[in-house]
Amino acid sequence: MTKGSWCGFTRSKWFLPAFSLVLGLVMLAVSWLGGDPGQGLVSLAVLAGFGLVILLAGRRSETIRGLSGEGRDERFAQIDLQASAVAGLAVIVALIVAWLVATARGQSGEPYDWLLAIAGLSYVLAVGWFRWRG
Amino acid sequence: MKNKVRELRVKHYLAQGQLAEAMGVSRQTINSIENERYTPSLPLALALARYFGVTVEEMFDDQG
Repeated sequence: MTKGSWCGFTRSKWFLPAFSLVLGLVMLAVSWLGGDPGQGLVSLAVLAGFGLVILLAGRRSETIRGLSGEGRDERFAQIDLQASAVAGLAVIVALIVAWLVATARGQSGEPYDWLLAIAGLSYVLAVGWFRWRG
Repeated sequence: MKNKVRELRVKHYLAQGQLAEAMGVSRQTINSIENERYTPSLPLALALARYFGVTVEEMFDDQG
């Protein structure tokens, strides 16, 4: 698949449903390997259902079309960037709280400490990279 | 940002969807620009101005 056709695919209405389905299949395989295929089947059903909802509801909703990648333009790219920042902030806050709670309970703080380190380091590297590029 | 996109679009008898298609963006983006909820990128602002045959300064007012 060429770069252009790949970009076209990621911006089509099929991308997110297909991604959800593949992720569900991967979760099924992993759960199967872990000896719990039932949980994998539930995950597959949930993700396949999510993909189907995205596919069907995308005809009516700009938000869902944007989420699925179809018809994304510069405004939606900006919305996506802001939403990603909010999601990242939510995860970091949750990690900090989890680390504080674990530490207060006398636990080591793992894996929250190294997840926070990854978040902090990747942020600093990204700032450096975009400053250098910009 | 205050702008004359709606005024020019109506003057040219265009629907939001037609202008959106010509600009390669969604109808909602044109609507957001017209309602001053979204400030377009420089390439889109230039494309809009070029499309209507005006300057960017004539179309957008950053003082307003």
